[in-house]
Amino acid sequence: MNRYDEPNYRAMLRQMQKPARYTGGELHAVDKRPQFFTIDPQDRVHFALCFPDLYEIGMSNLAIQILYDILNQHESTFCERCFAPAPDMRAYLKTHRLPLTSLETRTPLSEFDMVGISLHYELAYTSVLEMLYLGGIPLESADRGESDPIVVAGGPIACNLEPITPFLDVILLGEGEVALPEIVEAMRENKRSGSSRHDFLVAVSQIPGVYVPSFYSVDYHEDGTVREIKPIEPTAPHQVKKRVIRDLNCAHLPVTPVLPNIEVVHDRIVMEVFRGCARGCRFCQAGFTYRPMRERDKNTLFDAANKLIRNTGCDEIGLLSLSTTDYSELEDLVRKLLPTTEAQHINLSLPSLRMDAFDFELAKQIARTRRAGLTFAPEAGTQRLRDVINKNITEDDMITTAKTAFMNGWSRIKLYFMLGLPTETDEDIDGIAALSRQIIALWDDLPRDVRPKRVHITVSTSFFIPKPFTPFQWSRQISQDEMHEKQKRLANKLSDRRVSFQWHEFESSVMEAVLSRGDRRLAPIIKHAWQSGCYLDAWHEYFRWDLWQEALDMIDGGTDFYTRERPLDEIFPWDHLDIGVTRSFLRDEWQKSKRAETTCACFERCSACGCQTYETGVCQGHGN
Amino acid sequence: MNKILTTEKRSITLFYAREGSASWLAHLDMMRLFERALNRAKWPVSWSEQAYNPRPDIVFALPVGCGIETCLDPVEVTLNLDGASFMAKQSVDTLNMVFPPGVRVVAFEETLLQKKSLMARVVAAKYRFNVPGIGNAMIKTFVDGQPVFVERLRKNKKVVVDIAPRILSVDDVQEDCVVLTGGAGSVGHLRIDLVLDALVRDGGLDHGAALGARVTRLQVFLDELPTDQCIIV
Ligand code: SF4
Ligand code: SF4
Repeated sequence: MNRYDEPNYRAMLRQMQKPARYTGGELHAVDKRPQFFTIDPQDRVHFALCFPDLYEIGMSNLAIQILYDILNQHESTFCERCFAPAPDMRAYLKTHRLPLTSLETRTPLSEFDMVGISLHYELAYTSVLEMLYLGGIPLESADRGESDPIVVAGGPIACNLEPITPFLDVILLGEGEVALPEIVEAMRENKRSGSSRHDFLVAVSQIPGVYVPSFYSVDYHEDGTVREIKPIEPTAPHQVKKRVIRDLNCAHLPVTPVLPNIEVVHDRIVMEVFRGCARGCRFCQAGFTYRPMRERDKNTLFDAANKLIRNTGCDEIGLLSLSTTDYSELEDLVRKLLPTTEAQHINLSLPSLRMDAFDFELAKQIARTRRAGLTFAPEAGTQRLRDVINKNITEDDMITTAKTAFMNGWSRIKLYFMLGLPTETDEDIDGIAALSRQIIALWDDLPRDVRPKRVHITVSTSFFIPKPFTPFQWSRQISQDEMHEKQKRLANKLSDRRVSFQWHEFESSVMEAVLSRGDRRLAPIIKHAWQSGCYLDAWHEYFRWDLWQEALDMIDGGTDFYTRERPLDEIFPWDHLDIGVTRSFLRDEWQKSKRAETTCACFERCSACGCQTYETGVCQGHGN
Repeated sequence: MNKILTTEKRSITLFYAREGSASWLAHLDMMRLFERALNRAKWPVSWSEQAYNPRPDIVFALPVGCGIETCLDPVEVTLNLDGASFMAKQSVDTLNMVFPPGVRVVAFEETLLQKKSLMARVVAAKYRFNVPGIGNAMIKTFVDGQPVFVERLRKNKKVVVDIAPRILSVDDVQEDCVVLTGGAGSVGHLRIDLVLDALVRDGGLDHGAALGARVTRLQVFLDELPTDQCIIV
């Protein structure tokens, strides 16, 4: 089909469940077609910004909005979006031998200069392969020729993309706002000078934060562990250091986001109040890889909020960060925003509330616009285990908050926990049930006239997954039998009908654990799983454990090799990458966790994690 | 022309056209699109009084199916002026500047609040089909006085309906283009997908061509026609 053949295009869309996933044409989408003919092709960089999941997921992602806006600000950079096709579209493209194209100009991915992939979870790997394949790009970096696009990946999990490095040309470590435009400029320079693909890779490998995986060789011991990782190209640094934005107030804050025409998962405007997190919960990868915590000024945010409201007309605005209640000026900002949001029927939503930082008066004000449930994430059932994971919440905090909540009319509380954390015992699991019973008892004991009519508690559990660059990167993941037992034990203890229990499947948790701490040897496994049909693995309904297992059987040791506890001196597949936090700091934290010793949050005391070298944000308050 | 409305609650009927990517939106998406555009244009839209889930008072005459373009579809917006003045023409111009591509208000009419809802006033709708071979298929399928039975699902049960009487007039037939007016609204509503199904089954219209048909709703007829107060933008 010619991409401008309208009847066939209409026929295709008519057979799709949600055609608007593929049509583009949203408010603030950038249409640079008129400039196509006025700008010298050698100056023009055509960039496909890809998200390896459905439109509704990708368009809810702030990183996509920010990068799209930044790249398109350059007159000669044409950045277009592309999302993973839903199964109906994927089947259609395959049957009709049609390429996957961008939304804006329906250009096949293979015709772009660069294809950028924003990666947020490991279970998207097979979708990356599918997008490259459907887009007409040779899968393996080594097979790509001079006319093929450069495939660059980045995002929160970029700190260990080793399992898919053979499919990527360039990896961006850290915050894309600064390094990505530099990579694009290198591409423009490369086009102007007519240099080769290899010249381009050499050039970008010298940009801080840029990792060219093919410039490094990895040797393994006989048992499959890494012996050595070393650069094989003279320009490649021994360690690639994560890039951070030093002054977040100067960082780009898009006020004309692309506004989807269809409902997306987070159907609201979002504004990032700070980056990084000061807490250091030991299981949390984002808590370490985004360090240091850097705040935006409340006045900048207030102005941006007003512009966003005016430019989008949305009826909900969310304040986003890893732990929004830690924002030092939150109360002021919310008080400033409330008159506008209330007058215009706009909901102000605050995700990731932490129990210990919860300011009740504030939440009450927000609840005036919509009374949603309260969400707390104690993560573990006993104080001992909460100390192990460095989650700074006490039972007293939770009980006091729940009581105030009930007395102010809240009736639904959702509690998030992890099962299978290091050192967990039956007592810790029973503690989860005990905590929910205690909250119910609290409601029972309150006089009828001060409590809500009903009470409902949801206990939601997921399985602990050890992640690179966390103190628990040395930890094992529990076996599936253990997962089963723990889940059963908890379910039996949660017998009150006012408490409901939600849990995660274990198969996908195992898979995520394997990929998270995986190495390059997993690449053929991932390719095999994809070839046998794995796609959109993060979707419960599409996840094919049988196919994954078949693929994993190809590797010695299978899943156990990847989920095992790692010795303190083992070289990790990601040791040539530097995210700021040092290995010795993480190792000390791992040891402290075994003694259930806690570590202060950055705003209380600096623990010299290594990020002081960035000389910014919360680190500076400590004279670093 | 630029009457200034100052009574508290007034309504304004907008006639909108949609084409291109906007024509692939479902009804609920279209409602949200208007809600947000009216917010951006700062229209003083009144809110329904339901306590639990108040919504802006915006009513579409007739939902339009996914993949169908429109030329003059009515939407009624109730305004809460609260003593403020409202310059309709300027406001419509502003609104037209903040729509996403492919959506535009082409005419409007200021009305008093009607007792009967806009939806209840819909009687018919006129459609244009552009698709190769449709003229012949039309002549073969719809023969004077003959019923055309088609199956459709209602509450998961198959029911058979005769769509022939639901076509009120065939306004133009050419080789690759047909214009017809069908019943619309709560009784005798003509479903466009069923017409195309019948044309494929009985008229020999190519299935693939039918899927690629360009379908445009030219007009929605209300029980009262727009008056000469109606202003073309
Ligand atoms: S509060 Fe803890 S879990 Fe949440 S982002 Fe920060 S470190 Fe991670
Ligand atoms: S250097 Fe200190 S203040 Fe900065 S992130 Fe690390 S622990 Fe926190």
